[in-house]
Amino acid sequence: MKWKLILPFALLFSLGLTMTAFAHGARIEYTISMAVEILATYDTGEPMAGGQVTVYAPDDPSIPWLTGVCDEEGRFAFTPDTSKPGTWDVQVRQSGHGDMVHIPIGEDMAVSGGTGHTTLQIVLMGACIAWGFVGTALFFSRKPALSLPKGGPDAHS
Amino acid sequence: MKKVFPILVILALFASGILVGCAPAAEQGTLQFNANGEDFVRQGFVSKDGWAITFDHVYITLADVTAYQSDPPYDPHAGGEVQSKVEVGLDGVHTVDLAEGNEDAPPILVGEVTDVLVGHYNAISWKMARASSDPASDYCLVVVGTAEKDGQTVNFTIKVEPEYTYTCGEYVGDERKGLLQKDGTADLEMTFHFDHIFGDAETPLDDALNVGAPGFEPFAGVAEGGMLDVDMAGLQANLSGGDYQMLVDILPTLGHVGEGHCHCETH
Repeated sequence: MKWKLILPFALLFSLGLTMTAFAHGARIEYTISMAVEILATYDTGEPMAGGQVTVYAPDDPSIPWLTGVCDEEGRFAFTPDTSKPGTWDVQVRQSGHGDMVHIPIGEDMAVSGGTGHTTLQIVLMGACIAWGFVGTALFFSRKPALSLPKGGPDAHS
Repeated sequence: MKKVFPILVILALFASGILVGCAPAAEQGTLQFNANGEDFVRQGFVSKDGWAITFDHVYITLADVTAYQSDPPYDPHAGGEVQSKVEVGLDGVHTVDLAEGNEDAPPILVGEVTDVLVGHYNAISWKMARASSDPASDYCLVVVGTAEKDGQTVNFTIKVEPEYTYTCGEYVGDERKGLLQKDGTADLEMTFHFDHIFGDAETPLDDALNVGAPGFEPFAGVAEGGMLDVDMAGLQANLSGGDYQMLVDILPTLGHVGEGHCHCETH
């Protein structure tokens, strides 16, 4: 009997809470991301207000990843894609003057014009060669098989 | 065992051959070096003090031209040596005329180097050196042109003898330069800003560009009969101390990479 009394009250109580929450609905969510803010100025210290900004991501340095314009204080902010670690290049130009800054994001990206093998590849190749020598030597140095009577071991007299 | 040894040797040679044959070939391309006097030289312009200047010839002599895959990227503001594992040098001393061609002519090709490693050539250095033969013999820069203002005409030849070494980071401009891919061609540019010497009427007079530029009026002031043929020694003797010093101070800023500044050492 007690449950029959308590259950409706509990239901009403829960509905009341829900209705209160919807009555003045507001919702704020947040995520934490790393933003980069640049400040572009001339050598005199004057801000490059309205300077044209071009951002290049490390995975495709020939195509702009983002373009924009500096504010009146010469500031520009962007959030790089952290799945593309490496050096992000940001160029700012205005009235025939310009500069480029190089910003490391995440782990350093190994960029090389070399064509050599990695250490792991060299070790593996060395191991394969050594095993080839050992195997070949074992094959040729094995004892000769015992001579069998004519007709083979399965021959019946 | 006597039979085993030759077989082992053959196998070792065979394995080495396979490894060498399978090693990836070095990826290569062609790198071009251009010099650019920009529209200021090709089309002419009005100086900060109102002289309409056109150029017949702008002879510039370039030596020790070198491209780098710099790491870290070279910072011309900090100066110093370029840190790089890959460098490509253009052999020889080259005198080019930045005024060559019509008003829409492309930058001048100084030279190219083939079969260079692919990658991002993001720094360049060169020396503005004295030429050893005509048409610019004994000078690193010879500027020939005409300036007109209020009915006056000055035919001028201005010759610069000091040598300058410019070290620059990456090209700054509409497009990215120096990205060389396999079997491709990439270019790098040595850019020269002559508005730094004469100023630019289209830029506010209080802009740093015009504040630091001597303009053309000091040169016109030492012309005789509408003619001026002078070198730095002559200018030192005839210009005011302030005007001459302004010219000396601004010449190291002549070299750029597009709109990007360079570090300069005067010799």
